[in-house]
Parts: sequence; structure tokens; C-alpha cells
Amino acid sequence: MAATATGPFGFAPAIAVFPLVAFVITLVFGRHLPKKGALPGILATAGSLVVSVVMFAAVAGGGEHHTTLYEWTSGAATSETMVEGIEFTFGILIDPLSALMLVIVSLVALLVHVFSLGYMNAEGETGLRRYYAELGLFTFSMLAFVFADNLLMAFMFFELVGLCSYLLIGFWFRTESAPSAAKKAFLVTRFGDYFFLIGVVAIAATFGTVGFAGEESFVTAAETAIDDGTTLFGFDAETWVTITGLLVLGGVLGKSAQFPFHTWLPDAMEGPTTVSALIHAATMVAAGVYLVARMFGYYALSPTALAIIAFVGGFTALFAATMAVVKDDIKQVLAYSTISQYGYMMLGLGVGGYVAGVFHLMNHAFFKALLFLGAGAVIILMHHEQDMWEMGGLKDKAPVTYYTFLAGALALAGIVPFSGFWSKDEVLFDALAVGLEQPVILAAYAMGLLAVFFTGFYTFRMVFLTFHGEPRSAAAEDPHSVGWAVKVPLLALGTLATVAGFANLAPVAELLHADITFLEFWLDGKYGAVEGLTYHAYHETVAFEEGVIGSETTTMLLSAGLSLGLALAGAFTAHTLYNVPEPSRHTTKLGGAYRVLKSNYYQDEYQVWLAEGLTLPLARAADRFDQTVIDGVVNGTSTISLFGSDRVKRIQTGIVTNYAALLVGGFIGLLLVLGYLGGWFA
Amino acid sequence: MAVLELPDWMALAPALILAGTALVLFLIDSIEPHSTNRTLLSGTAVAGSLSSLAVAVWFTVAGVGATGIENYGVIDIMNGQFVVDQLALYFMIIIAVVTALVTVASYDYLQDHTYQAEYYSLVVLAATGMSMMAASNSLVTIFIALELTSLPSYALVAILKDNRGSVEAGLKYFLIGALSSAIFVYGVSLVYGATGSLQLTRIATVLESGDGAVGEMGGLLGLGILMLIGGVAFKTASVPFHFWAPEAYEGAPAPISAFLSSASKAAGFVLAFRVFTTAFPLEATTGIIGVDWTLVFAILAIVTMTLGNFAAATQENVKRMLAYSSIGHAGYVLIGLAALSADGGDLVMGAAMMHLLVYGFMNTGAFLFVGLAEYWGVGRTFEDYNGLAERAPFACGAMAVFMFSLAGVPPFSGFWSKYLLYTELINAAADNTVLLVLAAALVINSALSLYYYSRLVKALWIEEPLLDRDRLAQPTGLYAAVIAAAVMTVVLLPAFGPVADAALEAAAAVVA
Amino acid sequence: MTVDVQYYVLLSMAVFCIGLFGVLTRRNALLFLMSVELMLNAANINLIAFAFYHGNLTGQLFALFTMALAAAEVAVGLGIILVLYRNFRDVDVTVPTTMRW
Repeated sequence: MAATATGPFGFAPAIAVFPLVAFVITLVFGRHLPKKGALPGILATAGSLVVSVVMFAAVAGGGEHHTTLYEWTSGAATSETMVEGIEFTFGILIDPLSALMLVIVSLVALLVHVFSLGYMNAEGETGLRRYYAELGLFTFSMLAFVFADNLLMAFMFFELVGLCSYLLIGFWFRTESAPSAAKKAFLVTRFGDYFFLIGVVAIAATFGTVGFAGEESFVTAAETAIDDGTTLFGFDAETWVTITGLLVLGGVLGKSAQFPFHTWLPDAMEGPTTVSALIHAATMVAAGVYLVARMFGYYALSPTALAIIAFVGGFTALFAATMAVVKDDIKQVLAYSTISQYGYMMLGLGVGGYVAGVFHLMNHAFFKALLFLGAGAVIILMHHEQDMWEMGGLKDKAPVTYYTFLAGALALAGIVPFSGFWSKDEVLFDALAVGLEQPVILAAYAMGLLAVFFTGFYTFRMVFLTFHGEPRSAAAEDPHSVGWAVKVPLLALGTLATVAGFANLAPVAELLHADITFLEFWLDGKYGAVEGLTYHAYHETVAFEEGVIGSETTTMLLSAGLSLGLALAGAFTAHTLYNVPEPSRHTTKLGGAYRVLKSNYYQDEYQVWLAEGLTLPLARAADRFDQTVIDGVVNGTSTISLFGSDRVKRIQTGIVTNYAALLVGGFIGLLLVLGYLGGWFA
Repeated sequence: MAVLELPDWMALAPALILAGTALVLFLIDSIEPHSTNRTLLSGTAVAGSLSSLAVAVWFTVAGVGATGIENYGVIDIMNGQFVVDQLALYFMIIIAVVTALVTVASYDYLQDHTYQAEYYSLVVLAATGMSMMAASNSLVTIFIALELTSLPSYALVAILKDNRGSVEAGLKYFLIGALSSAIFVYGVSLVYGATGSLQLTRIATVLESGDGAVGEMGGLLGLGILMLIGGVAFKTASVPFHFWAPEAYEGAPAPISAFLSSASKAAGFVLAFRVFTTAFPLEATTGIIGVDWTLVFAILAIVTMTLGNFAAATQENVKRMLAYSSIGHAGYVLIGLAALSADGGDLVMGAAMMHLLVYGFMNTGAFLFVGLAEYWGVGRTFEDYNGLAERAPFACGAMAVFMFSLAGVPPFSGFWSKYLLYTELINAAADNTVLLVLAAALVINSALSLYYYSRLVKALWIEEPLLDRDRLAQPTGLYAAVIAAAVMTVVLLPAFGPVADAALEAAAAVVA
Repeated sequence: MTVDVQYYVLLSMAVFCIGLFGVLTRRNALLFLMSVELMLNAANINLIAFAFYHGNLTGQLFALFTMALAAAEVAVGLGIILVLYRNFRDVDVTVPTTMRW
């Protein structure tokens, strides 16, 4: 361990090591521990949180930390940009972005661990040792991914995160649907990761480095290559950066469930709700967007890649929001809302709104964790019933759950002053500003804006159906009670979901001319940062022009007003339709669209068709080729060899005179060859 | 010579010890003819070969014959008729090891045999010849050592006088051997005619200076060299002088097969290495005879390994399969000579020598296992061997090690030596098509060889026995030899560094 | 009067080829052996002629060794032919073919 850094940063590895230790302890001794191994996990994540906060404070105090812990291999190959040798290392990079993310991840992980006491232990689940062990491994992977200082290390932990999701989604492996969902999540994200891996290799081969930060980083190298007009693998540098960036983006789209790789995420609801909270808020899905933020300097070099990110994000935001409108299962609604919200983050990052994207990532982590845990609480209340049409009227029977859930819902819908409003508004404002100059971005913005209406609608449809009106089932009449382990995390997250938005009150700052955009300062390196990895640096790199309607303030107010208005409109529509004692489904109003939405735009169908109608025949053809041609050649070779063997050994006739003749014959043959070559007969 | 200030001729001690042992055995025989005191006879032979081994190892470690150290150096004996250098010592070690293993194993194999003393003295005499061959530096001494090896070998192959197979094998071996040695001697006479000398270094001097009429006798010299190659090919069982080998190995008593296919082959190779690196320097010789003699070895290597492996593939008799596999391995080692013309050829030769050492253990062990099977009387074919592992797991485990090592499967030593041979060959083959063809042939043949080697392992470990067997005896000597060979085959792996160094230094000593 | 060395070589080659012819055509083991002896003696002719030609004694000396070894070879060979006769009731070298392929 080369922990040469002095001061608090020397403890950085502990952030990831704590949950790893918890994983090992739980795995080995879990059976004998009280609470089936929940305690090591809680202690470890609490420890990680403490150290993360220390890191956060240290960065706030102007520090930053970048060190290599372990070099596991190095090569002597020369890269396309003539860098000689390449090293593959494990290293730690603590800068404002990763410090912030570390706090978020460890906080959410801690709360999920605590909540699990109420959700899993209290409900008498079996296999808890496995559950907590996997949870520990999951947290470890994500934390290590967050502080990774190079792309390859990030990739490795990215994969580990995927593996842990697979394990946890399939936690109830005896059911039919959970293993299938787990497989689907694994395969779909793996499909994206395949491109990611190629991207990693391409970047390493091109620039001879996979580091994120510093002079030696591939970001700097790419910038130099573009400035010098270098040709890389036959493309000009910017095109090549776009290609490699998009390859890496494949992994991002898979993990962050962006169109067209989003299909795994709704199915992933088969896992325990706590796991869903962790996956959606802070780990698996967040990993994708975090990766874009982590290597934002690279994407910033390529306007094409950015535009694609923005457009995919905007499209996914709208696309998923429409599907959420018709779902009956409370977790399904949340699942589609997650896809939609990550679409917003991609949109924000894609238009160069680095701060906006990260801001929304943070807020979303809080309110989505809150909503999922709230949904978990509802599920406890409802004796494991998830259909919203069986609920109703829970408002009075479970006030803590209701009010915290409401806070989360307001944040999700983007109602002022809850956190979601501020960040979503900033994303949309940034998109609008760029969109005024770029038609493609304007289309993405329009989709994002339209999605706000649907978000408001489905969010409050969910709230009203669940908590308002009359109870519609026996379970809703007499809900199960929930304990402190459920309420404490809800309260903590409820508070955060309400106030987290104040970290970056950009519109207010604009109006009052006050310096209260703390997150922007934070990410801009006002406190401490690694050079080059700041908002300003990124902003200068991004090639987009920004336009305004009237003045910047007008534009901002217009944008904020639009999105708030649409959100309220959506909420109000939901109110009229569903906030009645006996709500009805109102599905006929949608007509044919209902079936399309209910079937998720037939996304699963076409992907299954791709697998069965296209891949399977191809695989069959390949198999037939293998069985006939390849095996034929192989079998033919062996047949010929054995036949040849049978002929060759017949030379040995057993008669010694023949041997002598063959010997002399062979000798004369050699003599002739040699004599001919040596010119002895000339 | 610096070590203890022994006289120079003492450098031949490993060979002299063997000669002395043979005389002691004769003495015992004359004192008590028809002695069946197996312990005494076998013990004497084992002691003799082990002390020869010990001395050879000691000399190697002490740096006898090492070049590049002050006061040390190649030791000339009898005006350059013999020479003791690292190459000689390296092969003396191989020969002594194989002799020791064979004599230990013979203890049980020769139970109830009539000619105990004759057997051991012949074995030790042949070993003496081989050991001398390693140090011979003149065509005269080489020929004498060659015959000293061959004549006892003929007798040993035919020593089971009432066994038709043994006699037939002896006859064929003898006839082909006589023919080959006639060709060899004629080759010697032609080389002598062309150069006027029989001492290897002096031949080289003459060739390099172009004195006298050498330049006009290119054809004569070329024919002579080719005939010498014939003699070497006979000893190493290389095509087309290999015809004796399948029968001789199959018909001879199994320990003798082991002895001939390992030690005798190694002796043949040291002869080739010595003669062709010392006496016929490539450039000068090519200038005179107009063609590069390594080409012959390249052809021989390809044909030999292909014929050996292909013929082995469909054998039903295990011993005969091993016989052909032994021909195939001769082909691999011939690569060491074929690559001499290329840069890095000395490394290829070093790798080939490593392969010979490893081969000395694994091939001897394999034949001794066959000897064990003959001792049990289980039969000769693959089918007869079915399911032997149930009754004799240790011996069969050792046999599996031999087979996989012979096939060149990691992690056994056979893999490493073959792998080194291959990589060095590829390195040397940078601009040499012939060597690339050789490398391809090596790969193809190795792949094929895995088929028939694993077939035997499958028979031993997986197949069901054809008929129920009683408990199998565990003869101490045979078991000890088989297990020791197996252990060495495995243990040589971590010790590969020193072995490799020794082989490479030995190769460098003669090539430089 | 001296005879040029090439005539000796021609002679020895002729003898060698006669021996070789005998080896290839004779089935009787003893005749086979005698043919091999002819080949060895062809080498001896060469050695002695070349010794004279080069003016050193090495070749002659080696010829002596060759003769001695040829005698030893015959001794071993006759022993083998003897057991051959005992086992196969014949000295025809083409008869023992129990091992082949």
C-alpha cells in the first residue's frame, strides 16, 4: 500500500474496505451473528459514511487526493499517440465529484441497511446471511467504482456492481420470475458492457493510458491529439474520440437503463424493495451516469457524442414517463420513473450542464431512495401487496410513511421548493439555452419538458391511489404496523429530499444576485479540486453555443415557470381523476394507446424477437457450420491421420532385407538431393 | 586442472568408473559362474552407475571443462583423442542416470533369469561405450566407442535366448547395425581421404585452411559426411536408419528397451553434436561441399518425427507404440542440429539437449512401466492394460505423468523442454523458411502424439478391465525406478533453471 | 611405380557396392554377414590408400582397429545367428517376421 498521502486522505481506501470486510464477516460468520449479519453491514456503511464525510470536509478544506495503490501489470506496447508503455493500476481519485458521490452512496447504503432490519429481518425472510453479504459486496463495489482513478479499474468494479445486482435481483431464487429477471438484468447490461470493454481497450490502445485525471490522463491526451490534428487509426482525432466515447457509452446506457437498454430495469423489481432502492438511487443505475460525469472532460471534446447523450436522455425521459402512467404496481411506477429521471441526468450532461446533471443525480439519489423505501413501507403495511388498486386510504393509518412519501413525490414531480424542482429546472434550463442554438437539443429539450407533465401525473396518480380515497381491500383496512427501522430512514431521507435542493438555488441566485449556488462552486473547484476536472474547464471545452430569450433571467424564469406549470398541471390532472373516494381506471380514455403503453411500446417483444427470431437462427446456422464443416474438417483430419498412420507403419514389413533396401534407398535419396544441391555431379 | 590437482586423464573418471564396474562384474562372474546373487550383481552395477553419476555431477559443479574461468578449460586427453568439456559431462550425467534406473529396475525383471552377471556386465559395458562416446574427439575413438556400445547392445537385445521375439529383435538390430557401421566406417575413410586426419579439431583446421587437395575432393567429403550422418542416424534411430528400432525395442527385455531408447540415443546425439560442430565448421564445409549439411538434418528431423508419430498413432502394442514415439522424439532433438546454421542455433541445440535429459527420465520410466507390466504378465496391448490403475494406482499415476510429459502437456518437464525448443526455434527461424517448416512439423506432430499418449492413459485409468485381476505384486526395484523417474520428471520442473543453464552452456561450449 | 589414389577409391567403391549388393540380395544370415565384412574391407582399402597418399599412418592404424572390431562384430553376430537357428530352425534372415507394422 502506497498510502503516502498524509492527513485524512490516507484513510480513503477504508471507505471501500469497510463494506468488503463486512461482506467477508457476514459470509463466514453470518449464521451466528445477531440479526443475521445486518450489524456488520450497518457498522461498515456507517464507517464508510464517516470517512466519506471526512473526505468531503477535506475537499471542502481545499484538498484533493490522487494516488496509485497498486500496479498490477504494465506493458511495453507503444500506443497510437506514440506513448511508450502502459500501466494498469488500482488508484484512488478523490475530487469534489467523487467525494460528493461517496457521501451519497454510503449514506443511502447505510439507510438501506437500517431499513432492511425492518423490511427483511422483521418479516422473517430466510437467506439473510446471503442478503447482507451481497449487500456488503455491492456497496464495496460501488464505492470502489466511485473513487477509481482510471477507466480500467472503473470497468472492473462496474462489472462487479453488475454481478452484485444480478445476485440481489435474483435473491428470491426459488420463484420463477426473480431468476429470470436477474438473468435479464445481467444479460442486457452485459450487452452494453461489451461495448464498454471495447471502448476501454480502444482508449488504452490509442492513448497509452486509462487514467482519469492529471497530465497523464487519456482526457488530456485526447485534447492534445485534437489540438494537434493527429490522425488516430485512420480517423481524425475528434471522430475517434466520438467513436470511443460512444463505445464506453454503451456500458452507460446499459447500466443507467437508457433506451434501448432500459428493459431490464422494470423486471429488476423482482428483487427485494430495499435492493431496488439501492440499485436505483445510489449504485447500479447511478453508476452509468456517474461514469459520464467522471469522464466528462472526454465527452466534452466531442459535440456529437454530447448531442447523442442529450437526445437519448431526453427521449428516454419522455418515453419512460409515458409508460409509467398506466402501471398498476407501485414499484413498477417507480421503476419507470427511475428510467425517466436518469434520462434527465443524461440530458443535462449531454448539453454540457455538468452541474445540473450531478445536481439531479444527487437529488434523485435522495428522493428515489426515499420513494422506494416508502414503497417498501407501504408493502409492509399492505402485507406484501403491490397493486395500487388494492390500496387506498393509507394516509391516516400511516402518517409518517405518507408525509415522507409525499415529500419524495413532490420532489420527483418537481414542485417548488422540493429538491427535484431545482435540479430538474436547471437541467431543462441548460437544455433550453443550448437548444436555442441547436435544433437537435431543442427537440431533446421539448421531450424533457413534455415528460414533466407525465411525471407530475403518474407521481400523484401513485400517491392518490395509494394513500387517498377509501381502502379498497382488507389489507388496506387493517395495515400491518412498521417499526423504527423503517421510519428513521424515511424521515432522514424525507428531510434530505425536501432540503437538498437548496444546495444550488440557481434561479434564486440569479434573481437576488446572491452567491448561493454552492454545488456549482463545489464542482467548480472553489474549495478543492483536481486540475482540469472542474465545471469551468468542462464548460470551456464544450463546443455548444448558448442562446437566450430576452435576457438570461427571463429565459430562466420562463423555463422554470414552464416546467413548474406542467408539473402542477400533471398533478392536478391526477387529482381530478384519482383523488376521489372510489377512483376508476380511466383507461378507456387512452384508447389504443393504452395497450401500447401497457405493453411498454412492445420493447420486450421486439427484443425477444431479436433474440429468438434473429439471434437464434444465426446461432443455429453457426452451430450447423460448426457441426458439419468444422467438425468435418477436424474429424477428417483425424481420419486422415489415422489412415496415414496405418499406411506409414506398413513400411515396417518385418523382413530385414526390406529394411536394408529401404535404408539404402533412403540414403541414396538423401545423396541425390544433397549432390544435386551441392553440384557434386556436375 | 585445478580441482584437487588430479591428473588430466582423471577427467574421464565417469567413463572409467563404468569400465571398472564392468570388470568387477566379470570378476564376480568368473569367481562364481552362473551366480544368481541378484542383490550383489545388481547392487554392483547400480553402485557403479551411481558413482559415475556422482562424479559427473561433481565435475560439472566444480567446473571441470568449463570455459571462461581462469585455470579451467576444456581438457584434452591423449593428444586430443578425448576431450572433456561441459557437453561431455552433461551427456555422461544423462547416461549414468539412465543406467542407474535401468539396473535398479532389472533387479526384479531378471528374476529367474540365467545370465545375470553377463547381463549386468553387458549393460555397464555399453554404458561405458556411451560415456566414452560423449568424450571422444576423434573419429577413431568415436568408432571404437560406437562399437563398444553397439556390440553389447546386440547381445542384450537377444539375451532372452528362448524368446523368439527377443532373438528376432537381436538379429534385426545386429544386421542393420552392421550395415550402418560399415557405412559409417566407409564415411570415416572418405573424410580421412579428403582431409588426411581423423582428429576432429584437425579436420576442422584442414577444412578452414583449405590445405592440400581438400578443395578438389568436395564430392568425396560430402559423401563421407553423409555416411557419417548415416552412422549417427542409426544410433539415434532416425529415418531412414530407424528400421531396427521398433522391433528391437519391442522384442528386447523392457529395461533394455529403456536403456537403448534413452541412453543409446543420447549417446548418438552427443556424437552428432560433437562431430558436426567441431569437425565440420559450417562455412568452410559449405564452401567445399557446396551445400549446407544442416539441410540433411532438417530433412531427417521432419521425416523422422512425422514417421515416428504417425506410425505410433495406430499401434495396438504398447511397447511398440513407445518405440515409435521414441523415433518421433529423435526427430525433435534432430532440430537442434538442423538449426545450427541460423542465428541463435546454439540456443536451439541447448533446448534439444534439455529435451534429451528430460526424455532420459520420462522415456526410461515409460519403458520401465512396460517392464513392470511384463513382470505382472498382464499382456502387451492397450486393451490388456485396461483398468490397471485400480490395482496399481501409484505406478499408473507415474505412467500418466510420463505419457503427459512425453506429449508435452504442462506442467511436466516434457512440456518445458519442448516449449523451449519451440520458442528458440521460432526465434532462430526469423528469416529461415526451412526452420519455420520444422516448427510447424513440431507442432503438428506434438498434437498428434497427444492422441496416442492419452489413449494409453485412458486405458489405464478410465477403461474397465477386460477380466478380473488378482492383486498385483509390487516389485521393489521396478517400483523404485518407475517412481524415481516420475518424481524426476516432475521435480525437474522447479530445477529447470540450472538444467537449462547447464545445457545452454554445454551447447555454447561446442558451438562457439 | 605408383598408382594414383583415385584408382584405389574406385576399387574400394566397387568392393563396397558388391558388399551392399550382397546385403540386399542374400537371405542367408552368414552371407549377409560376409557382405558386411566386404563393405568394412572396402573402407580399409580406402584408409590404407589414403594413408599412403597423405603420408601419415593414421589411416593404417585405424584400419587395424577396424579389423579388430569387425572380428568382434562377427563374434557377436555368429552368436545371434546361432540362437536364431535354435529358435527358427533356419538362418534365413527373412524368416523371423513375428514383429512388424
